[in-house]
Amino acid sequence: MKIDVKHVAELSRISLTQEELEKFTPQMETILESVSVLKDVNTDGVQPMKSHVKLEDLREDSPINGLTQEEVLKNAKYKANGCIKVFGKVFGDIEES
Amino acid sequence: MLNTEKYDVIIGLEIHVQTSTKSKIFCNCPTGYFQKEPNTHVCPVCLGLPGALPVPNKRAIELCILMGLATHCNIDNEIYFDRKHYFYPDLPKGYQISQYKRAICSNGYIDLANGNKIEIERIHQEEDVAKSTHHTENGKDYSLIDYNKSGVPLIEIVTKPCIKSAADAKDFATKVRQIARYMSISDADMEKGQMRCEPNISVQEKGKWELKDGKILPIGDYKLNNKVEVKNIGSITAVEKSIEYEVERLVKEIEEGKEIIQQTRGWNAEKGITEFQRSKETADDYRYMPEPDIPVIEVSEEDKERIGKELVELPDEKVKRYIENWGISQYAAEVISSTKENAMYFENLQKELSKKLEEKDAAIEASNWLMGTVYSLANIAGKDVSEMNIDLGDLTLLILSFKEGAFTKNKAEEILKECIEKGKDLSDEIELLKKEKEDSSSNLNEIVKSVILSNGKAVEDYKNGKDASIGFLVGKVMQETKGTANPNDVRNILVEELKK
Repeated sequence: MKIDVKHVAELSRISLTQEELEKFTPQMETILESVSVLKDVNTDGVQPMKSHVKLEDLREDSPINGLTQEEVLKNAKYKANGCIKVFGKVFGDIEES
Repeated sequence: MLNTEKYDVIIGLEIHVQTSTKSKIFCNCPTGYFQKEPNTHVCPVCLGLPGALPVPNKRAIELCILMGLATHCNIDNEIYFDRKHYFYPDLPKGYQISQYKRAICSNGYIDLANGNKIEIERIHQEEDVAKSTHHTENGKDYSLIDYNKSGVPLIEIVTKPCIKSAADAKDFATKVRQIARYMSISDADMEKGQMRCEPNISVQEKGKWELKDGKILPIGDYKLNNKVEVKNIGSITAVEKSIEYEVERLVKEIEEGKEIIQQTRGWNAEKGITEFQRSKETADDYRYMPEPDIPVIEVSEEDKERIGKELVELPDEKVKRYIENWGISQYAAEVISSTKENAMYFENLQKELSKKLEEKDAAIEASNWLMGTVYSLANIAGKDVSEMNIDLGDLTLLILSFKEGAFTKNKAEEILKECIEKGKDLSDEIELLKKEKEDSSSNLNEIVKSVILSNGKAVEDYKNGKDASIGFLVGKVMQETKGTANPNDVRNILVEELKK
């Protein structure tokens, strides 16, 4: 099974060297092949296993305060004005929602 | 605009609306983040910390269904969530929980006032992302991330590419906002980002394309022009303006023989232009997969029925009813029903007045007083009618007292204005006026007599057949009574006295 590791890495904003690409590509393909044995299982007539929940049983809409700002920022390496600070030009080829 | 006879404009709209829940879509964090200290409405779920699990909010799903019901959509019996992956700091999990294969609502429509039907392909539920602001310091780019907005419920309304003009796109967006507000689904304030419109625009030669199963297809060997997406639209007016600008730009490029590349452009409201942001030469690759942390949610017919009870009469239906049942003018009906608050105030006033007046008369009085007096007072005060806090009972009393002839309309408007400006109690003022009138009517005859005595010229003119002079005399008496007397009564007494 072929996998475009370079493309996947770009989507995750990871830059890989040529050596790394050559090293990882067969490894990842092996993983996919191992998982693909699932395709050989005959599932004719087997109902899909889905867990269901009724709409009326979902969580009620009541707000509860979560973490404090101090707690939120604890894991951040860089911070400013109560925000987490990230470096680099984040506008890129990736869609912003 | 250039060469509109040669080209068709094809627009599809994507509208995001933040729904008004108290807590976020997948956790209990409070939603009201506007002007709040950054990163104070955040928990491990909306921060995407390892091991945190999403728990769907019932109210959010109900509001999405309500929007679907209000726009004639089919509502799915099962709700599935999917993960949309992209790597960006505003999305701490590395994916957004959204819906891909099956949207909660599908195949709906909204009818525009001009008769055009805008088809809705789907309305799906997703979560909003964090707020990022971009800065530069010593030539180094950085962004500040505030996760308060992350996880606020967001619905996305997607139309088919069936909108044919900028004006229709604007009307559609206006309708969506109106429905959201009338049904209390969202405040839909575009300036606050509670509603965001993103049009997809393309321009094709007439007769060279067709719409099939919601897709634009070329006819024969015609090569379709690529579409352009416009973002950063901050108001309903900008929906129309940005599309108009973009259509003109596209036609010009095509006429000059240039190829349109698929791209995203940003609306610059100050300059009134769209600016290139990025090309979309490669298809987006979001690696969608079913969200394994949220079970399938079953929606029963009873659920739909229960949610359907929240549907309220929409402005179009109100306008129709006001005109047909009560004989209100089209213009007045439209102004009154433009917001839910105004419409409810009008309907309640009509109801109060109809305790004493005929149903139709009550409606017409209510409409006249709102349109002629209350709205202009609100306008002067620079306030919304709902912010004026005019007590419904007091206004009813004022209108009914006027109808009974307790005072003139001018007087009534004057005291209403005074009560609003000086914060006086309207019902007290009305009682006071009524009492004054009782006192003065006993000596109205005396006033009439003294006016006749002191205005010999007018009396003579009247006796010489100049009927118009009576108006002058009525005016004089009204002046003396400070407007409390009924002009018709005054006229009658005058005529009687002058016969003597």
